[in-house]
Amino acid sequence: MADDIDMEKPVEKSTVSNDCVVKSEKMFSLKRWNAVAMWSWDVECEICAICRVQVMDACLRCQAENRNDKEQEECVVIWGECNHSFHNCCMKLWVKQNNRCPLCQQEWSVQRIGK
Amino acid sequence: MAASMWKDKGQMVFEEQWPLMRPTILKLLRQEPVSRAEWHELFWSVHMVCLWDEKSHAKMYKALQDDILEFIKQAQTRVLTHEEDQSLLRAYISEWRKFFTQCSYLPMPFFQLETALQGKTHNSVQKKPQQNTDDSLVRKLMLDSWNSSIFSNIKNRLQDSAMKLVHAERNGEAFDSQLVIGVRESYVNLCSNSEDKLTIYMENFEKAYIDSTEAFYKLKAPQYLEINGVQNYMRYAESKLREEEQRANKYLESCSIATLNGCCVNVLVTAFKETILAECSSMIKQDETEKLRMMFRLMDRVSDGIAPMLKYLEDHIIHAGLADMMVAAELITQDSEKYVERLLTLFNQFSLLVKEAFDDDPRFLTARDKAYKHVVNDTSVFRLDLPTRLPGPGSSGGVKTQPESRCPELLANFCDMLLRKTPLSKKLTSDEIESKLKDVLLVLKYVQNKDVFMRFHKAHLTRRLILDTSADSEKEENMVEWLREVGMPADYVHKLARMFQDIKISEDLNQQFKEEYRKTKGSIADSINIKILNAGAWARGSDRVTVSLPLELEDYIPEVEDFYRKKHSGRKLQWHHHMSNGTIQFANSVGRFDLDVTTFQMAVLFAWNERPQEKISLENLRLATELPDAELRRTLWLWFFQSLVAFPKLKRQLLICHPEVQSPRDFTENTVFAVNQDFSLIKNGKVQKRGKINLIGRLQLSTEKSKEEENEGIVQLRILRTQEAIVKILKMRKQISNAQLQTELVEILKNLFIPSKKMIKEQVEWLIEHRYMKRSEKDINTFIYLA
Repeated sequence: MADDIDMEKPVEKSTVSNDCVVKSEKMFSLKRWNAVAMWSWDVECEICAICRVQVMDACLRCQAENRNDKEQEECVVIWGECNHSFHNCCMKLWVKQNNRCPLCQQEWSVQRIGK
Repeated sequence: MAASMWKDKGQMVFEEQWPLMRPTILKLLRQEPVSRAEWHELFWSVHMVCLWDEKSHAKMYKALQDDILEFIKQAQTRVLTHEEDQSLLRAYISEWRKFFTQCSYLPMPFFQLETALQGKTHNSVQKKPQQNTDDSLVRKLMLDSWNSSIFSNIKNRLQDSAMKLVHAERNGEAFDSQLVIGVRESYVNLCSNSEDKLTIYMENFEKAYIDSTEAFYKLKAPQYLEINGVQNYMRYAESKLREEEQRANKYLESCSIATLNGCCVNVLVTAFKETILAECSSMIKQDETEKLRMMFRLMDRVSDGIAPMLKYLEDHIIHAGLADMMVAAELITQDSEKYVERLLTLFNQFSLLVKEAFDDDPRFLTARDKAYKHVVNDTSVFRLDLPTRLPGPGSSGGVKTQPESRCPELLANFCDMLLRKTPLSKKLTSDEIESKLKDVLLVLKYVQNKDVFMRFHKAHLTRRLILDTSADSEKEENMVEWLREVGMPADYVHKLARMFQDIKISEDLNQQFKEEYRKTKGSIADSINIKILNAGAWARGSDRVTVSLPLELEDYIPEVEDFYRKKHSGRKLQWHHHMSNGTIQFANSVGRFDLDVTTFQMAVLFAWNERPQEKISLENLRLATELPDAELRRTLWLWFFQSLVAFPKLKRQLLICHPEVQSPRDFTENTVFAVNQDFSLIKNGKVQKRGKINLIGRLQLSTEKSKEEENEGIVQLRILRTQEAIVKILKMRKQISNAQLQTELVEILKNLFIPSKKMIKEQVEWLIEHRYMKRSEKDINTFIYLA
């Protein structure tokens, strides 16, 4: 019963005044929003087939050389026309030996490089 | 005189010369004064005789021997006239000292004779440089004669007398210690065998000394123990050991001291080892460090003496530690600060005991560590139930639970309280926080399932960074360094470091975003902050939850995405609304209030914007927000829970529900919710018209779904880590026995968790099945790596 009173009373009492408020501003209005998103490389396979490390992490070579985080941020992803993707560092070395995609054996041509 | 001898050189035969030489020899033996002329004469005579009369060598040696023996006989008679022990000793020692002095002088004139005698077998030229008084033939003759005629006759009496004196000394009587020392010296010096000078001493004197010592304490020690009890006895034994060592330094050659000590330890300590050790347990319990110290010193000298003490210490720590935790269980399960404090108090208490009683002896430190580890990882007070099996690689269905200590979770919570802006962290100084964090790391060292700590710590860190609630960013980064120092896995620490890096990059991005939009769409720049983070460092797969954003928010999404696409390419964005949050203004009849809320809370509240006065059912809220049921219930529950428990100053609830509920499960489809139009803040009993209130509380970064998966995730990760480590070991060893594999596996994984035997076995089977390895055909307990 007490609940009913609590809930009903204010409604009846403030109907008039609140109508005015609603017109000019809503009951709840946004002041600030802290939005969070995660980015990842837009890839089909999450693991680089050359170094077997997730493309979201720096490639094996960059990790092993123990470069600082700033430099590792530069370890980006490269896409071929075949839509296969690898670490850019890994692919740079790969094409020196064999200008084909390690996964589909098509001739390697760069579609885009991640940034 | 010399000249006359030259004349009579043909007559230089032994028989004629000896009577001339003899008086001088006798004088020498008796230590009577010998003139320089006589001394020289003797040298000359020996020389001449040896030179002219080849047959004389043996005769001269024999004659000399006779005289020595005769002299010794007289000395013996003189000594034996004394009946009483002390005077006998005194007489003997004085005779012996005289004789021994002469042993250095008498051989000198006979050097020529010795050379002649030895010349038959040795080349004298070669022999000469090595010649010294010690291996002189005459000296040997003298000592051997003394030994055989006088010493062997009375050595037992001498020894007995000496031992009687020592015995008397042990009983507290004073006497001239020179007497015993003199006897010992005669034993040592008597030995003519230069190879091993101590033979006679060791066979006689040392043996007698040790025997009498042993006999003395065999009688005394049990008596003392019986009359005075164990604790006094320990003091007695210790003082006696010290006393006997000092006495041995006085009366024994240094080579004998170790033997004597060994004997004393045997008769004083080893014999009563069990009796003494029986007191150990109660002494530890009563913290009697002084007595334990003494026991430690005694037992340290006995073989296997320390091991039982270690066991008692371990038992005590485990029992006392667990008992303590049980008593405080109610308090500490609720309050991670109290829990960590409790653990530390225990640790310090045990460490102090080890320091004061056992001088931080490494063996006792190890025992403390072992026992403390047991307390920390105990599951009787709190437990974390982990499924032992999971569907998926390396397991075969069926979920059972295997309890583990919740200690790492509580440690992580405490860390969070110290690093976040909390009443606790505000109360403490920077140094205090630092020392408390170090305390956490100290306890963490003993935690077996460190991977659980890692998980919780990372979740807390994520929350602090996202909500920007770190108390001190420098301390945050220090903590990462400290975690590295205590040996947390490098890739984990690296991930934490990357999060800091990433949040800075994201801040720069946010600035750029604001600047760009300030020119065109000022309102966006003012009302939205973005954090765009590297999924590799932050995200966990199943965390995302669908939600229908209020239009006010939804509109911003494409703007942000456009902006991001201009900055980067090849990247895709995923919105993590369960992490995002914000501030909204709530206007009612009382006033206006700023509310800090999560995005989910926003979605719920905005549902009332179109119908401020209405009651909305659970079902309709679900339709409006598109939140999964569990997530919606949890979001709604937060208000009621918080207003009841966490926010006492919030006198009235923001939302009202009907009927009232006790838990999120009590919400039914028919439960209706309404906004409390009378909501207000009350400060000092007065209604406030303006105000700000934080309703986020502990932002649940893990969603309801992922929370369920959390524990499974831990187990899943363990399985993968175990497989990974097994393959790593096999790749290196090519072939390995089961036992060795287990050992190496624990070594590799112990910084994360301790793999159970069962899990290892399952993963080995899985790897065999999938042809990563095989069993040896000769021995099923040996594994072979398959490339």
